[in-house]
Amino acid sequence: MSAARAAAQIVPVRRLLWVLAALLGLLALSAGSALLKLGVWNPIINFAVSVTKTLLVMAVFMHETEARQLTRLVSALGFIWLAMLIGLSLADFLTRSPLPAPW
Amino acid sequence: MNAIDSSALDGSFLARGHSLRAWLTTLDHKRIAILYAAGITFFFFLGGAAATLIRLNLVTPDGALMSAESYNKTFTFHGVIMVWFFLIPSIPTTLGNFLLPLMIGARDVAFPRLNLTSWYLYIGGGLFTIAALLAGGVDTGWTFYTPFSTMFSNSNVFLVVAGVFITGFSSILTGVNFIVTTHALRTAGMTWFRLPLFVWAIYATSLVMVLATPVLAMTLALIALERGLGVGIFDPALGGDPLLFQHLFWFYSHPAVYIMILPAMGVVSEIIACFVRRRVFGYRFMTYSMLAIAVIGFLVWGHHMFVAGMSTYASLVFSMLSFVVAVPSAIKVFNWTTTLRKGQISFEAPMLYALGFVGLFLLGGLTGLILAAPALDVPLTDTYFVVAHFHYVMVGGSVMAYLGGIHYWWPKITGRLYSEAWARFAAILMFFGFNLTFFPQYILGYEGMPRRYHSYLPQFQALNVLSSAGASILALGYILPVVYLLWSLWRGDLAGNNPWHARGLEWQTSSPPPSENFLRPPQVREAYAYDQPEP
Amino acid sequence: MSACSAIEQQYDDAVQQREAATLGMWVFLATEILFFGVLFASYTICRVLHPTGFAIASRHTDMLLGTIETAVLLISSSLIALAVRAIKLDQRRVASLLMTGTAALGVAFLVMHGFEYLREYREHLIPGLDFMQSGPYAPSVELFFCLYYFITGFHSLHVLIGVSVILVLAARVARGSFGAQRYTTLELTALYWHLVDIVWIFVYPLIYLIGRSG
Repeated sequence: MSAARAAAQIVPVRRLLWVLAALLGLLALSAGSALLKLGVWNPIINFAVSVTKTLLVMAVFMHETEARQLTRLVSALGFIWLAMLIGLSLADFLTRSPLPAPW
Repeated sequence: MNAIDSSALDGSFLARGHSLRAWLTTLDHKRIAILYAAGITFFFFLGGAAATLIRLNLVTPDGALMSAESYNKTFTFHGVIMVWFFLIPSIPTTLGNFLLPLMIGARDVAFPRLNLTSWYLYIGGGLFTIAALLAGGVDTGWTFYTPFSTMFSNSNVFLVVAGVFITGFSSILTGVNFIVTTHALRTAGMTWFRLPLFVWAIYATSLVMVLATPVLAMTLALIALERGLGVGIFDPALGGDPLLFQHLFWFYSHPAVYIMILPAMGVVSEIIACFVRRRVFGYRFMTYSMLAIAVIGFLVWGHHMFVAGMSTYASLVFSMLSFVVAVPSAIKVFNWTTTLRKGQISFEAPMLYALGFVGLFLLGGLTGLILAAPALDVPLTDTYFVVAHFHYVMVGGSVMAYLGGIHYWWPKITGRLYSEAWARFAAILMFFGFNLTFFPQYILGYEGMPRRYHSYLPQFQALNVLSSAGASILALGYILPVVYLLWSLWRGDLAGNNPWHARGLEWQTSSPPPSENFLRPPQVREAYAYDQPEP
Repeated sequence: MSACSAIEQQYDDAVQQREAATLGMWVFLATEILFFGVLFASYTICRVLHPTGFAIASRHTDMLLGTIETAVLLISSSLIALAVRAIKLDQRRVASLLMTGTAALGVAFLVMHGFEYLREYREHLIPGLDFMQSGPYAPSVELFFCLYYFITGFHSLHVLIGVSVILVLAARVARGSFGAQRYTTLELTALYWHLVDIVWIFVYPLIYLIGRSG
C-alpha cells in the first residue's frame, strides 16, 4: 500500500468529533421526545434515532474496515436476518384470534 | 505392494509428529479433520446405541424393555447426540476441513488456531452431554419444549443445554473460518464459478451455521436461566408464551437441517461427476440452488408449529414458503439425474452411496412436502410419518452421502485403497436395511402411531418388528465400513495421487497430501473438466 | 505497508492476512447481532403482547442513569475510534491513553449499571427472587424485568470482556507492540467495542424510554 493511500484512510479528528456531537444530540432528542406525549410517534422516533445512531457509528467510526462491499453486505445480513426472525414471528403473534373460554 | 508399506506416508501430513501432543496441538486442517472424524465416529455409535435400545423396546407393544421415563431419556439422548454431535458437524468438520483448502488450492484454512479451538469446543460440549447421560439423562426430547424443560422436567436439562451451547460455538467458529477461507484464500485462477460444488456447498452451509447457531445459543441460555431462576419469558404465568420458545428454537433448528443436507449435496455432486465422467449438469443452477436453500430455509420454521397454537395466517405463510424451499432441492435432483444421462456410469462404492442418496432424499423430500401442507400435517404431526420423513433425509440422505464421501476421499486422506467388494456389499446392505427400517414407519404414521411413545397399540406390532429387523441389518451395514476401512490402513493397496482419475485440485497432490498441501502449484481449470485429460 | 504481525504460512502477503482477519471479525459481529437479536425479538413480542405493563415497568427504570450510560458509551466509541486513528499515525502514547480512556468509560458504565441494579434490588424488582409489585399488570412488569436483566446482563458481560481486552492492548501499545506498521488487532477490537455500543443504542430506548410521558 502506498503512503498516499494509507494517508487517505486516516479519518480527520474533526469528523469523529462532529459525529460524536451528532450522536449526543440524537440521544438528547430521543430522551427529550420520550417525555412528550406523542402517542405512536414515541417509539417510531426512538427507533429512527437508534437506526440513525447505528448508521453513523458504522459509517464513520467503523468505516475503515467497513469500506469493502463484502463487509457491508455481511453487516447488513445480520440485521436482515434479525428482521426476518422478528417479522415472521410477529406474523404469528399479531394475527392470533383469541378463543374465549366457553364458560 | 500392500504389505505394511509406509513409504506413501513419508513426507505426508501424517508423518510429521506422531505423538499425542503433536496431534492435540496441531494447526494442520488435515489433522484437525481426522481429530473430528474420531469424535464424529464415536458419537455416531453412541447415538446408534440409543437407537438400538429404542428399536429393541418397540419390538413389543407393551414397551416392556424400559419404563416410559427411561424411553423418553433414550430418544432424547439419541436426538441430541445425532443432531448436534453427529449430523451437523459430520461432513463440514471432517471432509470440509480436510478438503476445503485443497480444493481451492490453499495451504490451510484462514484461521488454523480457531479451527483447533473449534475442535476442543466440540469435544468439551460432548463431554458435558455425556456427563448429563451419566447423571441420569434428559427426558425433554431434543427439542427442549417449554414449559416442560424449564419448569417440570426433573432431569439434567442444564448439563445438556450447556453441552449443546458450547458445541454451538464450535459450529459458529467453523462457519466463520470456512467463509473467510473461501473468500480470501482461493489460489490464482480459482474464480468463484470454477469452484467445485462441494466448496459451494460448504460455503452455503457455513452461512447457515453463522446466522442460525447464535440464535440457538441464546435460546438455550434462556432455558437455563428460566430453569435456574424459576421465572422467565416463556412462563405463561407472567404473560410469556411457550410458543415464543418454539419460534426461537425452530428459527435455528430448521436451518440446522439444511446444515445437515447441503454438504451432503456437495459430496454427491462430486461423486456423480467422477463416476459418470462428466461435468455436473447445470453447474450455475446448482450453485444458486444451494444459496437459495440456505436463504429460504430460514423462512420456513413455522411448519414445525402448525398444531402448536400458531395463528392460521402464519401457518399459511410458512406452508407456502415451505413449498417454495422444495424447488431448489428439486432442481438439484433433476440436475443430478440429467448428469447421468449418456454418461459412462460405473458403480464403485461411492457411486452406490450417491445414487442411494438421490433416491432416498427424493422420497424424504416429497414426504416433507406432504407435511408442509397444514391440512395433511394435522393428522400426521407427531406420528411416525414425521419420524420416517426426517430419517429418510437425514439418514438416507446425509449419512449415506457422508459415507460416500468418506469412501471417495479415503484414498486421498489415508493413501490407501479400501476393499471395493466389501464396500459395495456394505452399501447395498445399508440401503436395504435402511428402507426396511424406515419405510414401514411411513405406514405406521399414516395409520396413526404416535412418536415418542414407549408403548403402542397391538395392531402396529408387525410393522414395528419389520422396522426393528431392518435396524439390525442397518447396524451391520454401519459396522462393516469401520472394519474394512481400518483394515485398509494396514493392508490396503497404495492409492497413488488420483485412483479415481477425478478432476479437482485435491487429486493433483499426493495421497496423503504433504503438510503444506501442494509441493507444486496446482493447475486450475474449469470445474469437472472430465472432457479434458488429467493434469 | 503492513498492518499486522508476521505473516502466517497460509497467507501470501500481509494485505491478504489483514483482509481475512477483518472479514472474519465482521462475520463474527453478524453472529453477535443474531445472538443479541434473540433478546430483541423476545422483547418485541412480549411488548406487543403487553404494551401497558411494559410502559409501567419502564417507568421503574432510572432514565437519568440510563441516558448518562448511553452518553458514556457513545463517547467511549469515539475515543477508541480516535485511538485507532492515532496508532495509524504512530502516535503510540496518545493511542494508549485514548484506549485507557475507553476502558475507563466502560468501567464507569458498569459501575453506573451496578447502581441501577442496587436500586432495583431495594425496590424489590428482582423477578423470581424478590419481586413485589401488585395490580393487574404485575405479571407483565415482572416479564419486563426478566428481559431487562437478561439483556443488560449479557450486554454488561460483553462490556466487561471488551474493557479487559482493551486494557491489555493499551498496555501493549504503550510497550511498543503495536504501531503504524502493525495495528490490525486494535482495529478489530475497536469493531467489537462499536458493536457493544450499537447494541446499547438499541437497548436504551427499549428499556428506559417507554411510557415516560404519562
